[in-house]
Amino acid sequence: MKGQDVATTGRNTARAHRHTVANFVKKAPRSLVWLLVAANIAVLVFMVLASFKTSGEIFDSPWSLPEEWNLDNWTEAWVTSGFGQAARNTVIVVAAASVSVIALSAPAAYVLSRSQSRMASGLTVAFVMGIGIPSQVLVIPIFVMLAEVGLVNSLPGLYFVYTALGLPFSVFLLTGFFRSLPSELEEAALLDGAGPLRTFFRVMLPLARSGIITALTLTILSLWNETLMALVLLQETANYTLSVALLAFLSTVQYGSGSYGALLAGACIVVLPTLAVYIWLGRRLIEGISLGSGK
Amino acid sequence: MTLLHERRDAPTRSVPPERRGSPVDVMRRRMFWPFVAPATALFVVFFVGPTIGVIWISLNEWAGAGPMSWRGLKNYVTLVQDPTFQTAFSNSMKILVLVGGCVFLASFALTAALREMKGKRLARSIIFFPVLVSGIVIALVWGILFQHGGTVNSVLGNFGVEPISWLNSSNMFTMIGLGMVWINVGLYTTIILAGVDRIPIYLYEEASLAGANAWQRFRYVTLPLSRDVVSVAAVLWTIESIKIFEFIFAFGGTTNDMPPTSVWNSALFVYGESFGSSAYRFGYASASALLMLLVFTAFVVLLRRLTHREPLEF
Repeated sequence: MKGQDVATTGRNTARAHRHTVANFVKKAPRSLVWLLVAANIAVLVFMVLASFKTSGEIFDSPWSLPEEWNLDNWTEAWVTSGFGQAARNTVIVVAAASVSVIALSAPAAYVLSRSQSRMASGLTVAFVMGIGIPSQVLVIPIFVMLAEVGLVNSLPGLYFVYTALGLPFSVFLLTGFFRSLPSELEEAALLDGAGPLRTFFRVMLPLARSGIITALTLTILSLWNETLMALVLLQETANYTLSVALLAFLSTVQYGSGSYGALLAGACIVVLPTLAVYIWLGRRLIEGISLGSGK
Repeated sequence: MTLLHERRDAPTRSVPPERRGSPVDVMRRRMFWPFVAPATALFVVFFVGPTIGVIWISLNEWAGAGPMSWRGLKNYVTLVQDPTFQTAFSNSMKILVLVGGCVFLASFALTAALREMKGKRLARSIIFFPVLVSGIVIALVWGILFQHGGTVNSVLGNFGVEPISWLNSSNMFTMIGLGMVWINVGLYTTIILAGVDRIPIYLYEEASLAGANAWQRFRYVTLPLSRDVVSVAAVLWTIESIKIFEFIFAFGGTTNDMPPTSVWNSALFVYGESFGSSAYRFGYASASALLMLLVFTAFVVLLRRLTHREPLEF
């Protein structure tokens, strides 16, 4: 009886010990989750608040509300520092390039997903390898090539580069997506005499709508933030995209102007559209990314 | 009726016998090139062409204009002995291995917590967001928070802590690495979580019935069964980590100058040797880009070899 008691207590302490370990294993990651969530929200709030503050306020009372809500920083960024022009440039180039990426990659992805020829699989592999080639490998030859045809320091030149840069990932994502669609419907349409073009536009595109929206949004977001190509290819303030304008503004702030409030207003101009798109289409994006990598 | 008849006969008449197939196959073959050619043409012009071009340029000394002078492999030999390149190379490897290791560890911890948590979707979306934010913005916010008279020090100052120079030259790269972990952890958590969510719930139930605690369930169920998705995520990290540019560049780099060479990685080295310093050593910069790409490609191949086994079915 006594021995049994000892055994039970022993077992109990062991269990209690195991319990604390399990508890720790359970709780540490959970607090990490909430820590990150809090940090991300805090940084965003800090940015938006700071865009209304004077430099002194930003550093002395970073987390308090601004003493007065005025738009001085925003007008300074938008008008004086050229973010307005840069925003227009970015919207035009990124929108045109992203739509072109989809217009080129959707038909290609569709036939690549349906054909079993050696050519098709070769091309599919080539596009996937394109994802692995970083911009710094391409930037010098592309610069030289565009200089040759007079497209350096021009937004049309950047548009061509962006359209090309967006292609590999979009083809990859959409090929996977088309592969997951049943082929009965299109075969029926083809047999009913709706030529290849009509079958693609009237039957396949509507079916692939959600995949196409995902590809389009991911392309927009990645081109919106692209920096290296824009930095190399654009030389004149009037042509700057938001990334380059932000870097240029960063240098004036560091060389004395010290207007951190306007700098953060500029940063908000870069980030808030992304946030809006994310709130609008976020779940789809996350699913698209997990799907793309699951294949 | 006639229409149907014609269509059934069409393929036999119009294609040579060896390419005969169902009418659908024939139509698919016919639409292949018109559909694929535009994308392929652009891909050839902006990816294949420049890749061949960069190999050629890397074998020469060239300032972008004027004549090239042939150097053969000398650019590569000089590179290997260049201390700036060595730093950039080792920084790239540190990002790949150390930052990557931290990203994956943190992602696993977050996955374990998120899997059975209330508010999982919301938490995941908020953790994910920094991936979509411009690296420049994150770098400048990071800089304002951590610079000498910055926010973090003024908050610490309230508790009587002396200001810490977070961003002096010896700490800078560590802070950059931490920033990268913060940016990327959301993406890899999302990817790993998507794989973990496919693990059937009854395996966890059975493990619980057998008396496994949270750690054991993670160690003996989650970890082995998410191997495939982790291997894909590791390849993705390798590919993405070599592309990192603006987050480092915006630390002290602006349109006018570059950050200190002690924090350069592959992309910054290429930019610094070509456009960034008006050195315009196109051949040298190209050689460095290719050398780095070669090492990372070897890493991807190795990673695939190491992790490649029969795909798990469950």
